[in-house]
Amino acid sequence: MKTPPPDTFEGQILALLPSLRRYSRSLTRSDIEGEDLLQDCVEKVLARRGQWRGINLRGWVLTTMTNLYRNTRRANPRDRLVELDAAEEMADPEGQADPLERLRLEQALDSLSEEYRAVLMLVVIEGYSYNEVATMLDIPIGTVMSRLSRARQRMSEHMKADNVITLRRPK
Amino acid sequence: MNETNPAVTEADLHAYADGQLPEAARARVEAYLAENPDEAAMVAGWRTQNAGIKNLFAGYEKSRDTDLQLVTPAEPASPWKMRSALAAAAVALFALGAVSDRFIPPLFERPPLQLAQSETLPKQAETAFLVYASEVRHPVEVFANEEAHLATWLGKRLAIPDLKVPDLKSLGFHLVGGRLLPVDNRPGAMFMYEDQGGERLTVIVGRNKENRTTSFRFASAKDVETFYWIDGELGYAVTGEISRDMLRKVAEECYRQFPS
Repeated sequence: MKTPPPDTFEGQILALLPSLRRYSRSLTRSDIEGEDLLQDCVEKVLARRGQWRGINLRGWVLTTMTNLYRNTRRANPRDRLVELDAAEEMADPEGQADPLERLRLEQALDSLSEEYRAVLMLVVIEGYSYNEVATMLDIPIGTVMSRLSRARQRMSEHMKADNVITLRRPK
Repeated sequence: MNETNPAVTEADLHAYADGQLPEAARARVEAYLAENPDEAAMVAGWRTQNAGIKNLFAGYEKSRDTDLQLVTPAEPASPWKMRSALAAAAVALFALGAVSDRFIPPLFERPPLQLAQSETLPKQAETAFLVYASEVRHPVEVFANEEAHLATWLGKRLAIPDLKVPDLKSLGFHLVGGRLLPVDNRPGAMFMYEDQGGERLTVIVGRNKENRTTSFRFASAKDVETFYWIDGELGYAVTGEISRDMLRKVAEECYRQFPS
């Protein structure tokens, strides 16, 4: 198998793959789901390359992935029940936060609807501005803001509800 | 939002937390937050959330060996599909062995196994055996009467599609059940079996991305014997206080039954 030259469409997608992998995993609930979404997305953009307008390839692919994610989720509502079982091994040995904290955070994210999660991830992880997100998802900016707000509120509630009890010795 | 700073909206607070607020507006929001501890705490909470989320997924921004296959779809696109092709090849090999009159082909003639990096596996298997096999009432979390659930659950935690719980009845061991346990700091699976005499053995499965190639290995500590091997990213260990010969048969049977 030959590596496609960097100026070809395949070459550009190949270069984007690591960041696409991060985004796909951030939308999904497990490593497997993340890889599946990534593969489906790459398959789709390769097949639909003619629709790309020649600018901002990454934005176009992320939009495609987001749509794919929402559609497949809608098609498989039972997946919503997976939650607790799907917290997988973490691929990040460097950023060793408290593993329990990480798990709680993952579970809080998994409690979000697809719409909320996509907005939150595009803003927080991918670093897009609210306006860019509105364009990418083809929704009004007011909707971006309300989804962001509700996503954060829900996350906080989830983390609070599932709070860790600190043990204290009586004095 | 309050009398002194009516112009600060929730949208401003989000933009502030996300670093999307223009320089000029930042001082105004900071002044507002200084006077409103509740809002300040909320914004601080969002920032902690942001940092946690970034940290959670940062490690995934990596390329993989299979990336090239992804963008050149003439080749099999999915590593899982590749896996099933390999599994089919292994089944075919096994079938050949069966035809040639050896029901269980010797391990050394099987497709090459991968080399072990994790020397920690036998120790962990031994500990799990010592801790759980002696439990009378709670040796496992899920008992054999829920075998299908056990397989689905642990398969999911280990990311092994179609995980089958090995059937060791031909060797006189029936399934007691299984549990989730940490193996190399990740979710791992333990299955426990028992023979007529109440003698128990355990089978451990753990995933480790750094795992490399081994053949079967053997470890023993006092009376506890462990056979272990690594196949791809998955490490397996069979542990019991039974004869090495029997344990080896169990290991071979498990190797045959686990998906490659």
